[in-house]
Amino acid sequence: MNSAILSCTGLDKPEGSVAREVAIRMASSANSEIICPVLLNRSLARYKKVLAENPLIVVDGCSTRCASKFAESLDLKIDRKVLVADASKSSGLTLEPTLNLGANGLALAQTIVDGLVQSLTAPASTTQPAAPSTEFPPPGEYLVVTHDKFEFRIPSTDYWFNENDVWVRPLGDVARVGISDYMQQSLTDINFVDAPAMDLAVEQFGELGTLESSKAVFEVVAPVAGTVVAVNPEVLSNPTLINEDPYGKGWIVEARLADWKQDVDLLLDGSAYAAAVKHKAEEA
Amino acid sequence: MSETTFMSVPRDKISWHPTIDYEKCNFCMECATFCPHRVFEQREGDRRLVVANPNNCVVFCRACSKTCGPDALSFPDKQATIAQIRQIREQESVQ
Repeated sequence: MNSAILSCTGLDKPEGSVAREVAIRMASSANSEIICPVLLNRSLARYKKVLAENPLIVVDGCSTRCASKFAESLDLKIDRKVLVADASKSSGLTLEPTLNLGANGLALAQTIVDGLVQSLTAPASTTQPAAPSTEFPPPGEYLVVTHDKFEFRIPSTDYWFNENDVWVRPLGDVARVGISDYMQQSLTDINFVDAPAMDLAVEQFGELGTLESSKAVFEVVAPVAGTVVAVNPEVLSNPTLINEDPYGKGWIVEARLADWKQDVDLLLDGSAYAAAVKHKAEEA
Repeated sequence: MSETTFMSVPRDKISWHPTIDYEKCNFCMECATFCPHRVFEQREGDRRLVVANPNNCVVFCRACSKTCGPDALSFPDKQATIAQIRQIREQESVQ
């Protein structure tokens, strides 16, 4: 499968050098067309066709995420992302402290390339998120917290919240998870969802992926412990669905519950969360 | 934002805030600019940033570290913090 790849320039940190190396290797071994960020800045037209016809891979070196922010500033649709700093930690390959890549840097670049090639060439059936396991009825009544010109809606029943603005709606032994109306408004337009892997086992308050907007990278703090059994395919292709319908179509993950009875002890019901939102809005 | 409790536990009893590794920090101020809770401050005459208001930090939030290019911010272990919160809640429910 062809792709376009936009990477960090690799002139500031070793992680950037790895990002640049990934782009070069993807071009030579996986039919990726390199999008030079400096030239893109001068001439979007130069890359208009390749960006229109191919999925865009963005490779950031460090958490400053210059490449991602640049792509977002141009309203480019990002198909998948890699953050070299995270890949370094997860692979255990500690980078040498120089811009010229050493053995670990080169090994990390190849590891990232292998992962990208695998995800690009795998049959769709193995890369697509599983379909939702259960039909969840839409939310019923809402509580509304008003602050200045803002209104924040909170389902009055069936939904529980952690204080990190993530909701959970249990149904049998499965639960849906998403973010609250208050948080989606705080983040503004969400432009990328980094979903957790299928079958990932997560502890309560562990990480269930991240959401990116122009304002922040938001960690989805798991309201419950469980195993990921579905990811909402709609929000992967259209992240602003989370802004449009945070408690319904904008759900993010479904998880098979591990211990709801224990987890609910550290959650808030709708009215308690409404009080928390009022406090947050007044203090913000 | 100064939250006085987190899950009914007094905020100042919960050890959750960023720690700055000054060997890595490049003084870019991305974290201070980003954090809406005024956790970080820069003292007059010192280019170093300090964690001036640790209890303003939202428990389990690590968003500032996701803005940190040099990876200079770290947080406590989440599971240890959860255990601490559960323990305090149990103690307070017994009393």
